Amino acid sequence: MVILAVIALILGTLYGFSGYEFTVLDYLASHTDYILYLTMVLVGISVGLHESIVEQMKKYHLKLLLIPTGIIIGSIIGGVICSFVLNEPMRESLAISGGLGWYSLTGVAIGNLSGAEYGSIAFLSNLMREIISFFVIPIIAIKLNYYTCIAPAGATSEDTTLPMMIRYTDEKTVVFSVLNGVICSACVPVIMSVCYTLF
Amino acid sequence: MEILIFMLIGVLIGRFCFPKKLKKLNEKMQVVMTMLLIFAMGVMLGRRENLINELSSLGFKSLVFCLIPTILSTIIVYFLTERFFDRDKKEDK
Repeated sequence: MVILAVIALILGTLYGFSGYEFTVLDYLASHTDYILYLTMVLVGISVGLHESIVEQMKKYHLKLLLIPTGIIIGSIIGGVICSFVLNEPMRESLAISGGLGWYSLTGVAIGNLSGAEYGSIAFLSNLMREIISFFVIPIIAIKLNYYTCIAPAGATSEDTTLPMMIRYTDEKTVVFSVLNGVICSACVPVIMSVCYTLF
Repeated sequence: MEILIFMLIGVLIGRFCFPKKLKKLNEKMQVVMTMLLIFAMGVMLGRRENLINELSSLGFKSLVFCLIPTILSTIIVYFLTERFFDRDKKEDK
């Protein structure tokens, strides 16, 4: 799976870089929303086929919030450390680390608010977070626990990294992963506005 | 939000009208869809102007901004889940 993911990423990058245009590939690349929606239906089917999952989820209630809370706190502390280590302003550091892997939003938003250089760092660092997640999810699933696989993925745990959760964890973690992604994605714009208001 | 709606549709299909013998096919389709998503991400990257320049000048700083928050998130979530969640997750799938 990881090897397939690397091949797909390299092929896609080469195709994008080459400047060639094939109608089918261009259509696919520019309609990722539909691919994602179809993926979600398929994931839902897997969850629906797993009969005890609803009963299992009922046990958790508010514990569900622990994972996104841990992710956000870890990322924010990470942003503070980055600010000191790299000697960068606290505002930009926190906004970048608070992107939680959502590179498209943070890249553009921080670029508009703090200039192209910070926009590029926000884009690249959050993209790296997503790509690194692909590779560490299988390792975390074996060495730590299934739920922790959601942590590196951050806001992407509801879409791009979700299929890795499906492959390497269980149905219950997949549901946690989707809900975590929704919560984190809702928090990213909030974290960003708080950073630009406070600092 | 749409994501949750589509997932819910899938859950209902899976619960009430999806033939169990197609479970494997469903899993294979998920892999195909994932590869398409990753391919599309690659296309977006390849088409981004100045990607190589950005990587060479800001790559190291971006990596630090990626690694430290990601590692800290992972450590905190690991301790929280070990402390508060059931320990039923290391079995092989």
